[in-house]
Amino acid sequence: MESRILRPTLGLYAAAFLLFLYGPMIVLTILSFQGPEGGPQFPVQDWSLYWYKQLLGLSEASRVAQLPVGDSLLRSITLAFMTTVVSTVLGVMSAEAFRTRFKGSGPAFYLIILGMMVPGVLVGLGMALLSSTLGISRAWWGTSFVLHVVYTYPFAFLVMLAIFNRFDRTVEEAALSLGVSPAQTFRRVTFPIIFPGVLSAMLFSFTLSYDEFARTLFTAGRDLTLPLAIYGTFSVEIHPNIFAFGVLTTLFSFTLLVIYGLLMKRFTNRAARFAGQEDNG
Amino acid sequence: MLTVRQVSRRYGETVALEGLSLEVPADTYMSLLGASGSGKTTLLRLIAGFEEPDAGQIALDGTRLDGKPPHQRDIGFVFQNFALFPHLSVAQNVAFGLRYRAANPLTDNEEIRARSEAALELVGLKGFGHRGIGAISGGQRQRVALARTLVCEPRIVLLDEPLGALDANLRARMCDELKAIRERLGVSFLHVTGSETEALTMGDRVAVLSGGRIVQADAPERLFAEPANAQAARHLNAWNIFDAGLCAGGGAGQLGVRFDQIDISAPGQAPGAHLRLPARFLAGEFNGPTALSFFRAADGSLLQVTDHLSQPRLPDLVEGQDYDLHFAPQTARQFPGAAR
Repeated sequence: MESRILRPTLGLYAAAFLLFLYGPMIVLTILSFQGPEGGPQFPVQDWSLYWYKQLLGLSEASRVAQLPVGDSLLRSITLAFMTTVVSTVLGVMSAEAFRTRFKGSGPAFYLIILGMMVPGVLVGLGMALLSSTLGISRAWWGTSFVLHVVYTYPFAFLVMLAIFNRFDRTVEEAALSLGVSPAQTFRRVTFPIIFPGVLSAMLFSFTLSYDEFARTLFTAGRDLTLPLAIYGTFSVEIHPNIFAFGVLTTLFSFTLLVIYGLLMKRFTNRAARFAGQEDNG
Repeated sequence: MLTVRQVSRRYGETVALEGLSLEVPADTYMSLLGASGSGKTTLLRLIAGFEEPDAGQIALDGTRLDGKPPHQRDIGFVFQNFALFPHLSVAQNVAFGLRYRAANPLTDNEEIRARSEAALELVGLKGFGHRGIGAISGGQRQRVALARTLVCEPRIVLLDEPLGALDANLRARMCDELKAIRERLGVSFLHVTGSETEALTMGDRVAVLSGGRIVQADAPERLFAEPANAQAARHLNAWNIFDAGLCAGGGAGQLGVRFDQIDISAPGQAPGAHLRLPARFLAGEFNGPTALSFFRAADGSLLQVTDHLSQPRLPDLVEGQDYDLHFAPQTARQFPGAAR
């Protein structure tokens, strides 16, 4: 592809694409450094960290009420964590089951996948109706949690299915033939080999649950999760403290991503040192 | 002694094994020769317990094996692709069975280390323990796989085309080493292969698997010189098998004549005492110490004649010309049944 026009054009296109992709985020970040008198729009009055301080309750009395996000942030992280654990465990177990053909595996597959296909608002509404019919009170750790698992579990399942698809079964058989029990074989052979996939499944589950809105809207009950709390503040008035908060949560998500990357790198480095035998056998 | 009695295994409509019986005596190197798709890997997987037979029994030293889960069978398995644990080092691979097996695992690190080291030394890999699986060659991986199996002292070792992934030079060397290692340990090996040379070289006994059953199990010399039936003879890649009716006075059924026991002369020139078989010369093939000549008989069957370079006995052959192939009647083996 040694074209003098094509490469710069493609480069320009990629740059424009990235700008478009991150444009909203960039605008948000710039506006979060708005001065105390500025509003949620351009121009920026004067650059300051005022809204960050205001958000963390470090500023003097303010004309704007503090964002009611502290508790909801904690709730969202807890919920995302619970969802991650349950979805990943379920995903690994069911993908393991799908390694062998069993009766009804076809319908079972589509039933699992359905969880990520059905519209979130409808499922949320349905769950709200169901819980009121059954007399179960709605809560983020109950009704919402169930829906988050239903939603993220198919993603974890699909990731693990792809991992098991290219998994060399003979290494497990080798362990069995050495007299190692199936449980120990899973722990000592299967799990270490599929670990990168498990990590990806966890990342998927966490991020999907962390900012899930539609399913949570009808099912969270009295205590709000973070996306609901932020949305709630919109209905009053928008101040740049929301932007500041947006930047901080993005940094948090980015930290998770970095941790994921580091773990992955550490693992693949080790795997490369003991590179798989099928590559250069 | 491993006994397989009347074992059958089907996959849907396909029959892999049909009433197969086989005995592997104690302290024996047994090779199992079969074409690809003949069910030889299936047989090993049944013995190891990765699959269960539809019918029949498998027993080791008198105890039933079938129905037992694989990790309780005490049978070693060496895979064609080695199946080493990619996330562990060479030493950890070898120590794996000792450390994690269900029945009396070792806990003393010093003992585990000593025994793994001894196993690596046995296969000629002393000092390789710290290496990664990716940092050693194919032949070395083969040895690691062997050491990993042998260190657990299984009662019998199954080898599934263990040399298939190695190049020719290495294969010849590993042949000798496998034999030597087995003799030192005194444990039985059941070695599955599709190569007749490998089977004949390695085996104290050779069994031929064809059509889902064992068609002959014998000492290699005897199997090669006197195959009991046409199927066994065909697997040796050294016998012409043709309809006896092609030769005047050949009798009924099929005849088998070894590639190297056929002579060639111009039509009508064959010695009177020999059986005669007219055929057309197709082509010659030179492959080093021997030369192969291909002939087509009147009924279309293909015949091969081997000539040894050091002792040439064939006349100059012209492609497309008719010749008489002839052989002494006592060199031919008579097999019942019609030609294939």
